[in-house]
Amino acid sequence: MTPKAKDETHDLVSATDRNLVLSSLEHGQLVKAKKQDIPRRHLKGLELVVLWALRSYLLFMMAVVVYQAWTAAR
Amino acid sequence: MPRSVEIPLQDDVLITHEDVDRAHDRVRVSAARAEHGLSSQARLFWLLIGPGVLVMLGENDGPSMLSYAATGAKFGIGFFIPFVVLTFCMAIVVQEMTVRLGAATHRGHAELIFERFGPFWGWFSMIDLGIGNFLTLITEFIAIRAGAGYFGVPAWAAVLVALVILYSALVSHRYWTWERITLVAALFNLVFVPVALLAHPNWHAVGHSLITWKPLPGFNRDTLLIVLADIGATVTPWMLFFQQSATVDKGMTTKDIRFGRIDTTLGAALAVAAALATILATAPLFAHQMSAENFQAAEFAQALEPLIGHFGASLFALGMIEAGIVASITISTSSAYAFGEVAHKPHSLNLPVTQGKSFYSVLSLCAAAAAAIVLIPGLPLVYVVLLVNVVAVLAMPPALVFLFMLVNDKEIMGDLVSPVWANVLSTGVVLVLTFAGVLFGISIIAPNIFAALGGN
Repeated sequence: MTPKAKDETHDLVSATDRNLVLSSLEHGQLVKAKKQDIPRRHLKGLELVVLWALRSYLLFMMAVVVYQAWTAAR
Repeated sequence: MPRSVEIPLQDDVLITHEDVDRAHDRVRVSAARAEHGLSSQARLFWLLIGPGVLVMLGENDGPSMLSYAATGAKFGIGFFIPFVVLTFCMAIVVQEMTVRLGAATHRGHAELIFERFGPFWGWFSMIDLGIGNFLTLITEFIAIRAGAGYFGVPAWAAVLVALVILYSALVSHRYWTWERITLVAALFNLVFVPVALLAHPNWHAVGHSLITWKPLPGFNRDTLLIVLADIGATVTPWMLFFQQSATVDKGMTTKDIRFGRIDTTLGAALAVAAALATILATAPLFAHQMSAENFQAAEFAQALEPLIGHFGASLFALGMIEAGIVASITISTSSAYAFGEVAHKPHSLNLPVTQGKSFYSVLSLCAAAAAAIVLIPGLPLVYVVLLVNVVAVLAMPPALVFLFMLVNDKEIMGDLVSPVWANVLSTGVVLVLTFAGVLFGISIIAPNIFAALGGN
């Protein structure tokens, strides 16, 4: 038995529960359905500029915070 | 309607126990929705509240309550009363987007960032979240330790009891039970309201400040630090990840978004009441010109004792303990959800231990490690408390941009993309947070420029 198959035997449920799940949950809510990846979206120029700008801002500000903590500790 | 989540199921699709538990919760919601009248609406409200109240009261955590206490002690009743109300309005705008995202996609926040934008950007946001969450968790245990210290409880005992409460909430392995236990604990955050009443606040001054935003504080580095700490006390990255994951784990759908909004607004109203009460409770320290520099929970309670009595001071210390415990529960859960989402491991509070080993391990280990750190003697914990909210504010703009992009992504949100007014408001929140962070940076590294801008 492969590890995956072994894992799935834990998930076996009764027919009543199966019907309950299928009648009360949306398809996208099922654990197995959620294992399907959502298609990747490629970021465009302006989006990348904003993300990199904010990333740089965060790294710089973290250095400022560390500096402030260091000076305060001294 | 969202498109990408509508994945056709095969007849032999496996159903998990997590699905069954969630289905039982949804059956009750459907039954309440099928009925008419006020009582069915009230029942629906009862069934669907949770993530919003938890996230808002969870964010009224140890460092947040200490920030509000420091605000009251340093500035009294004035500008910060309406300012704190404004920060919670910002939190509602931001958190409502996570409700829509979770209900529309049935995916957690970390999962969506990873899958939609790729692991490169996904890991950046996970590192931000991981560092922020762990630092904040440490401060929760500092608050618990300090609050318990007022009653003479040794640090190890306080931390141990907090961990026992945290693990007790998990033993049912049911999201619903966990949520109700944590909600009850979270409502104790309102213990700050009677503390404020015992301080006999000047209601005329409170009303005046709410309308006029006056008296204004001086423009200096201390004020800026409090501004940042108070913003960080209401909007932080873990809240985005937690509320979206909890919305998904609860099984909320697009039909429940209206109640998700009510839940979020109710949570904000309760949290703002506790926050303002804390400012009002410590405002007498400002009136009596008592210095509250570097106060922790126990010191605030001791300083307040001559003004509000032993009972009031005890309530204040208890409030700090509660704030730390509830936040340690929600923040460690947020870390566990995010880890499971990016590692593709099962991640739900509906999981039995055998199927959710990694989820429960991350949750437990994060809390235990943070608890252990605060027991190390001689660590400069006060700096962590002071800076954790500032770090949260600084990490928020990148997190908000991901949220903004996801909630405006028509491929996953369909008709539920943000309306123009919500985009304008959320852009405003990003700009305010970035501006506050930049100003803080200038005050530290270029005090001359800060002075030229009017700071002192």
